[in-house]
Amino acid sequence: MAQTPSRTVLLVDDEIAVMDVLERYLRDDGFNVVCAADGPAALEMFARHSPDLVLLDINLPGLPGTEVLRRMRSERDVPIIMLTGRIEEIDRVVGLELGADDYVGKPFSPREVVARVRSVLRRSERSEAPASSSERRVGAITIDPVAHEVRVDGKPVTLTPTQFKILDVLSSHVNQTLTREQLLERVSADGDVFDRTLDRHIANLRARIEPNPASPRHIVTVFGVGYKMIDSA
Amino acid sequence: MSDPAASRLVHEIRNQLAVAVANVEAFRDGVLEPTPARLTIVLDALEQLENLLREIPSERSS
Repeated sequence: MAQTPSRTVLLVDDEIAVMDVLERYLRDDGFNVVCAADGPAALEMFARHSPDLVLLDINLPGLPGTEVLRRMRSERDVPIIMLTGRIEEIDRVVGLELGADDYVGKPFSPREVVARVRSVLRRSERSEAPASSSERRVGAITIDPVAHEVRVDGKPVTLTPTQFKILDVLSSHVNQTLTREQLLERVSADGDVFDRTLDRHIANLRARIEPNPASPRHIVTVFGVGYKMIDSA
Repeated sequence: MSDPAASRLVHEIRNQLAVAVANVEAFRDGVLEPTPARLTIVLDALEQLENLLREIPSERSS
């Protein structure tokens, strides 16, 4: 099963009959997928969805793929895999000039593309994680905000992005009560978590990290106020 | 291989091959159903390939 089910891949190709096949493979493998068929749309989706990785065809209408890559990289250091039907472009693409993380020549095996996506994501996550300096330990729970990993008693736990954000915020304020408003404000930068769904997110989070979710030990409710993470170690 | 016309031709052939290969592999892997609409996409790609092959001069002029 996918170890990173909530990763978002931006897929950019003007050949719809190829793009939708890749989309299916990636979704079946647990990725969120957003698609764009030309350069300007790709940049718009990039800004809107903050993908974890971009699969980018070089030959795009509207704006060349190489220019799309440059503009994305000027925003942030996102992993990019180029798709190309031009073998003669490959050296330039993966060389220093453009600095794509990998390339896939057309025609390709969709399975192979999914394998490359996984491998590039693993590589970039490893290089991002500065040893274990970013890790936080609260009782039996280890949170690594850089690698986006959570372990309970050393065992990895998969969380949705919202659950992760909630845990990230609570664990950086251990033994301190956060009001619902404070939590919502910090968790919901893009306005996707609403007051009435916060309790549900907390319940789902507890189900994953609490030994007994009905009687939580790590994330406790402070009635009438909000929530608090307790270091019970 | 710096001839731009030849380069474009090769690129388009690879693109159409990519359509056919990706779809047929998806049928094999059970990721997509080989519906008539899907099979038509593959057949169209193969037809395009045939047209593109016709653009290749059968003999290089001496």
